[in-house]
Amino acid sequence: MKNFLNGIKNYFKEFGTAVAKGDFWTKSSLLVMGMGYFGRGQIIKGILMTLIEIGVILFTALFSVPYLAKFGTLGTVQREEVFDAATMTKTVNDYDNSLLILLFSVVGMLVLVAFVLLYLNNIKKVYELQVLKEKGKHINSFVEDVKSLFNGNFHITLLTLPSIGILVFTVVPLIFMICVAFTNYDQNHQPPTYLFTWVGLKNFKNLFTNSMTVSFGYAFVRILAWTLIWAVLATFTTYIGGILLAKFINNERTKCKKLWRTLFVVTIAIPQFVTLLLINKMFSDNGIINGLANQWGIVDALKEAGIIAQGQNGIPFLSQPGWAHVMIVLINIWVGVPYQMLIATGILMNIPNDQLESAKIDGATEFQIFWKITMPYMLFITGPSLITSIVSNINNFNVIYLLTNGYTTPNPTMANSQAKEIDLLVTWLFTLTNDYSNFKMASVIGIFVFIVCAGITLIGFTNLIKGDREEEFQ
Amino acid sequence: MKKTIKLIIRHIVLALLALFWLIPIIWLVVTSFSAHKGLATNNFFPKQWSFDNYVQLLTRPDTVCNFPAWFKNSMIIGVACCIISTIFVLMVAYAMSCMRFKARKPLMSFMIILGMFPGVLSMIAVYFVLREMGLTDSLLGLIMIYSAGSGMGYLICKGFFDTIPISLRESAKLEGASEFTIFTRIVIPLSKPIIVYTVINSFLAPWMDFVMARLMIKSKNPADWTVAIGLFNMLQKTLISEYFSVFCAGGVVVAIPISILFVIMQKFYVEGITGGAVKG
Repeated sequence: MKNFLNGIKNYFKEFGTAVAKGDFWTKSSLLVMGMGYFGRGQIIKGILMTLIEIGVILFTALFSVPYLAKFGTLGTVQREEVFDAATMTKTVNDYDNSLLILLFSVVGMLVLVAFVLLYLNNIKKVYELQVLKEKGKHINSFVEDVKSLFNGNFHITLLTLPSIGILVFTVVPLIFMICVAFTNYDQNHQPPTYLFTWVGLKNFKNLFTNSMTVSFGYAFVRILAWTLIWAVLATFTTYIGGILLAKFINNERTKCKKLWRTLFVVTIAIPQFVTLLLINKMFSDNGIINGLANQWGIVDALKEAGIIAQGQNGIPFLSQPGWAHVMIVLINIWVGVPYQMLIATGILMNIPNDQLESAKIDGATEFQIFWKITMPYMLFITGPSLITSIVSNINNFNVIYLLTNGYTTPNPTMANSQAKEIDLLVTWLFTLTNDYSNFKMASVIGIFVFIVCAGITLIGFTNLIKGDREEEFQ
Repeated sequence: MKKTIKLIIRHIVLALLALFWLIPIIWLVVTSFSAHKGLATNNFFPKQWSFDNYVQLLTRPDTVCNFPAWFKNSMIIGVACCIISTIFVLMVAYAMSCMRFKARKPLMSFMIILGMFPGVLSMIAVYFVLREMGLTDSLLGLIMIYSAGSGMGYLICKGFFDTIPISLRESAKLEGASEFTIFTRIVIPLSKPIIVYTVINSFLAPWMDFVMARLMIKSKNPADWTVAIGLFNMLQKTLISEYFSVFCAGGVVVAIPISILFVIMQKFYVEGITGGAVKG
């Protein structure tokens, strides 16, 4: 943190010196960005810089400003259609579209921020040129500059395109959605017909409210708890299952190791949505498992034992809370273990053999070897990936959504906030946006998912991975 | 004697486990050969066998099922994504692993923070962005979604690059090689496992994903869909009694090329993950 602040301080200090000590060319770059390059003979670079400056100014003035001006209110003129009986045409007034105002304001602001950074950097570069010139050192020609893009400045060439992709498809949408969390954008305020506007922290308060009309607080606590339980269970069951299976297959006494491994790998190769939908149908209330269970009298036996209600015509594997929770974790073991097995196989093969052998010579049992050598080694290598897989399980959309496609909640309080018992925060978020257009609450939930994930990562990385233990295992 | 029994038990346990894991797959395959189109509830193996589901899938496109078009769409998206994503990942990984510049650490932390926002959250907004670009319901739009942010998945690849000895790069530099030459002539040829891993992963992403595609493709014309959306659509309550077996056939057809790819590439795949993870 301190480094970060110092970095910022130095950044502006350098800028200050550049402005204070700059000569005519450097100072005039404050106005026309290319001037500093013209003065040192870098004509093409100067023209390019000036063109960028003109481009940004034109873009902001002609495109962004109309939107940015309305950013404070997100638009005031609602769409109205007037039907003109004389000409039989509909005329639409010049209405404001809140969505476009917000979206393009975000884009406009990002362009401005990027430009300011470029501008500050430019002055510093120009000042560096001035110093070089004063010392009589060599100044790059344009051709040399281009060449450096493939050598010393190769990272700029490498990172430009991927960064633009990330900016447009990740950063802009995220900032937009974070803004939405502070508006009243929902099914009653959908552009272009209706406007939405800023409401401050009201949505965040809603998330913790539990009253007659709003039950988000009730649902949120339950879904958050289940999300965390699920993430921990899903991660550790598949992790341990994968290691055990890998150990079992790779044991020297097992014949045809490759064949066994391939059998399990086949299950990864079939697209997850196919297998998950299939399993969903297998375990549905009138699916094949229930059909067979009925034939074999298992359903009746369970009814006798009072495990399932009399009125039911099958075992509610995926249609009742409790049952569904357990089934989801079990099915996830089915989904995740082969994958973990593959990873564990690769790592187990790399365990230094001499360690294992010397342990054997010292008379350690297999069990001891597993807990004292294999597991610490595995944990050391996969520790960081365990934390990331907890985070990715919090966001594990596919398993829950595809498996419980068709689940309806018996609890009216949950239903009131469009939630289901087996929902994770992310699937709840998806239902809210996709089925109910409740974008404001979805964004708030999204922000909470981020907070949870960031918290787990921070705690995990500071506590689990203490210091640098690389040597211990090498 | 005791040893043999133990050996047999060990293999029986493995066989049972494998069977347990393969049951859904077996069900998928046998149902795809069923003459009964709907969901069978009382028998695991179909009562009457038929090849018709595959014939229908591949040769008789109708208003619900147009598998040849879906397969073509998914293939185009998969190939395009795999080229773009692989290039992006390699580029970012090289810059982050082998080069040193001021913004390196801040950029890496920034990407970690970005990665912690749930993907579903930004999807809605991505849809609005694409709509403004006029790219919804188009393959180009989907290709952009799947590959544009792929640079963020550079970490495993960076881990792999980190294991390439620095001395190799340094001696090349002494001989006057530029970073570009080092990247293309030294680092890339040494990274076969991780490239294969990235290629497979990015090729498969569009085949496996359906959430994104479902949000982006609102078209009612089946010819515009991808395999995932098309197959998902067949399981709607109104369609399942007519199309369940066809869905299974579709699942098998999709799985065959992917399984072959997987089994062949298994070795590289494992090397890729573990090689990258060791020093991650």
